[in-house]
Amino acid sequence: MLTASCLCGDIRLRIDAKPGPVTACHCRQCRKITGHHSAAVPVPWALVEVTGQITWFDSSPAARRGFCGRCGSYLIREGYDGLAYVFTGAIDGATGLRMDGHIFYADKGDYYRVGEVLRCYATGRSGPEIAP
Amino acid sequence: MNFSGACLCGAVRYRGTAPLRPVIACHCTQCRKTSGHHVAATSAPRDAVDIEGDVTWYASSATARRGFCGTCGSNLFWDGPGTYLSIFAGTLDGDLGVRLAGHIFCADKGAYYGITDELPRAAQDNPALTTQVMP
Repeated sequence: MLTASCLCGDIRLRIDAKPGPVTACHCRQCRKITGHHSAAVPVPWALVEVTGQITWFDSSPAARRGFCGRCGSYLIREGYDGLAYVFTGAIDGATGLRMDGHIFYADKGDYYRVGEVLRCYATGRSGPEIAP
Repeated sequence: MNFSGACLCGAVRYRGTAPLRPVIACHCTQCRKTSGHHVAATSAPRDAVDIEGDVTWYASSATARRGFCGTCGSNLFWDGPGTYLSIFAGTLDGDLGVRLAGHIFCADKGAYYGITDELPRAAQDNPALTTQVMP
């Protein structure tokens, strides 16, 4: 079981699951909203209990992004596939998780590059791999 | 240097003409919570940044506030002591030539990722990193 929260504490998540690996996403939307790039784990919504009021932004016809309207903490991306993509910076304490790949790396910002030996995908994980 | 940027939905835009500081990644608990991972910010003289649209400010400590778009939630600014405004690099328009130059508050980083570049790292703050400015 993991817990997550925004900075001000208005929104709390209880996650009754051991999520899988962390994926970093470098797409333009994630870059804009986080101010850098995102890092998230998918969790079935049925295993997520939310306390507090999430502010949702429809970032595309197929997805919305949830944040705290008071402190601005970015918490969840939802793609209406039954999964909450929980942003790992929100998780309280030790997560026991590991990042294992970078997606939409073709869209990354020019001011950084990933220096590690994780797989980098041009778009999603089903697409071609590109060099870090 | 002319620079500009915006949030995802476009409700908040900013522009200015000033030297920009190299980008510094901050791994402190507050930056991790608000960004969802960690922050990467450049910085410009506050007086040189013209902001259009309504920024929602959150007082994250007695000495600093964080600015985001209330519509789309994009994290945009960290406004702390001193005369500079930190601008989150993911919101900048285009390639302005600024590059990541170091990491601060590494002692507070999440265990789920590594810092694997060869850039300078500080366990806490490091003014040598956070006050440098590009011409």
